[in-house]
Amino acid sequence: MLVMGEVHTGLLQNSGEISEPACRQVLGLMTGETVRVSRRPIVHALSPDRLTGVDCVLPAASGSRIRGVGTVVSRCAVTGGRVAQGSSYVRLARSETDRRLPWSHYLARPGVIEVLGKARAADIAEGFVGEGAPRLHGCLDLTAVTGRFLDLVQTSPLLNRRAPFRMPRTILRWVAETGEPSIAFTLHTEQERTLRLTHPGPFTPAVVDLCEDLAVHDWLLTSLLVVVERARVGATPAAEVAARLSPAVDHLLHLWMPAARVEERLTPFWESLERRPGFSRQWRSLVDRVRDQLAVHTLALLSANAETGGR
Amino acid sequence: MLVFAISDKGGTGRSVTGTNIAYRHALQGNDVCYLDFDFGSPTAGAIFSVGSVARGTRESGLHEYLRGDCPQPRRVDVWAESDREGLRTRPPGAGRLVLLPGSEGGGELSALSEEVVGRCVQLFGRLEEEFDLCMVDVSAGRSFTAELVLAATVRMPAVPFRWLVFHRWTRQHIIAADGLVTGTDGLFDVGTRFGHDPEVLRDRIRFVRTAVLEPDAAELVGLRDEQRAWLSACDSELRELAGRHGVGRTTMLGKVPLDPVLQWREQLITDEDVLASKIANVETAAAFDDLAKKIVDDNAWEGL
Ligand SMILES: Nc1ncnc2c1ncn2[C@@H]1O[C@H](COP(=O)(O)OP(=O)(O)O)[C@@H](O)[C@H]1O
Ligand SMILES: [Mg+2]
Repeated sequence: MLVMGEVHTGLLQNSGEISEPACRQVLGLMTGETVRVSRRPIVHALSPDRLTGVDCVLPAASGSRIRGVGTVVSRCAVTGGRVAQGSSYVRLARSETDRRLPWSHYLARPGVIEVLGKARAADIAEGFVGEGAPRLHGCLDLTAVTGRFLDLVQTSPLLNRRAPFRMPRTILRWVAETGEPSIAFTLHTEQERTLRLTHPGPFTPAVVDLCEDLAVHDWLLTSLLVVVERARVGATPAAEVAARLSPAVDHLLHLWMPAARVEERLTPFWESLERRPGFSRQWRSLVDRVRDQLAVHTLALLSANAETGGR
Repeated sequence: MLVFAISDKGGTGRSVTGTNIAYRHALQGNDVCYLDFDFGSPTAGAIFSVGSVARGTRESGLHEYLRGDCPQPRRVDVWAESDREGLRTRPPGAGRLVLLPGSEGGGELSALSEEVVGRCVQLFGRLEEEFDLCMVDVSAGRSFTAELVLAATVRMPAVPFRWLVFHRWTRQHIIAADGLVTGTDGLFDVGTRFGHDPEVLRDRIRFVRTAVLEPDAAELVGLRDEQRAWLSACDSELRELAGRHGVGRTTMLGKVPLDPVLQWREQLITDEDVLASKIANVETAAAFDDLAKKIVDDNAWEGL
């Protein structure tokens, strides 16, 4: 049926990036379970999965009350020792019965929410990612669950909380179904984004990896835009502009690695987003702008030095 | 940075001064949010001139959030939602200015539970990720709200916080402000009980004098010599009293002069009020501007 999830992304609350062993510690939510780490082309650490039991109303654009019982899978990730994420998803499945079964039944199907009674996948999808959809009382709240997982990382005692700049978290809400391939990424408010994905073949966690990878890059782009806007190029003295841009150079620019962790079969989705809206194109033009500003500033400093030196 | 605004008595100018400091800090290019924790009288909406939340919000106010009745508290973008023309566009170079209003008719917190403290910690932690300054109007006197933020900040040792104690420049107010900090069940007392280091806490508290009438102020020009001499004597007596109560110059972060506009209306003092319509005094705006710099200036907070 339908898979839906949320990814929250933010700047890791530490003065500098953290090392791979530190990532392992921060994400080791429970002893004995391993943090999965990949090193190339960028260090990426992923916590073990956690389950949250839910008996809730599912979102529905029509406003009908659809009951679902099961578990949500959540996890946290740190990319490049610098970007933190909380991520949750659920797979919907039709229940064999129309009443709630013992929890052992649901625990045997981690990450599945069984839908009691009649429901259309399109109605639920639209209720979840559609704009202005009604929010019923007791509705599945992936935002709360996912936010708490990101909090787990951000409040780790291993972090010093002296982040180099302030930046809002972004929230990516996504739905995925099997079918004719298509992808639609939409920006809503400053912090909210939605993604509708139709992929060939059955759902696998690789789809979640794709969503998380997109979320990291959307957050990087959003943040770099904010840093450049705050620098007020042209309206403030060059030295100040340079000072305001430098956190981006120190902490963000090297993190851009689109599709680094995306399974081969799903890379065409990234490629299509690269054509439109053109993530990397916008990123490159921003990076060039930042580098140009710094170069101009450096040149000005050099010529000022040369002048005073010549005197 | 979390900054908690408190006063012993109501009506001291805590909310008006706190909001003006927040506003000036945003104008200085920082992202700022203002949390109205004065649950008994949430007036921040009125001061920011956001009519829809003038007396708090009916939905998703801070009180509701802390009680667990809504997942996240409502946010009001002052630059977008203020009714005052002069506030409705974000000035170039200014940071974000976001108000988290209290709940309309919410009432004071009546108890402190583990859940409430947990939600408060979550709220402060997330806002601190996002904003350079989170100014929290804690309400007047000894309250569960003050205990709540003392309990919350103990649990987030890496998050920097400071306290501002607002008081008027009178005998009663000076003695009361000292009592609120050092007296029984005062900030030190409760803070230490909750696990704060008293030395550290002491260094994070500063006093702010509100609505001060300086003996040489322009308002006093028409006074008789006898009256002026009397005022001057009072002022030095108060200074001596303040010194004895630890509310003196060394622990003072700044003072705000009495302003005719603020005496008549609770509002933000914009540069337009000072320069164009000239209804407010330039010294008032300068005092807010100065305080907005000093709250984050470590030199002003060095150990005593
Ligand atoms: N600097 C000032 N000059 C004159 N009046 C002031 C000044 N600061 C505050 N006031 C006035 O004092 C009254 C109480 O202020 P308010 O901020 O509401 O106090 P509190 O929040 O401490 O209860 C308000 O009418 C306010 O306009
Ligand atoms: Mg008040």
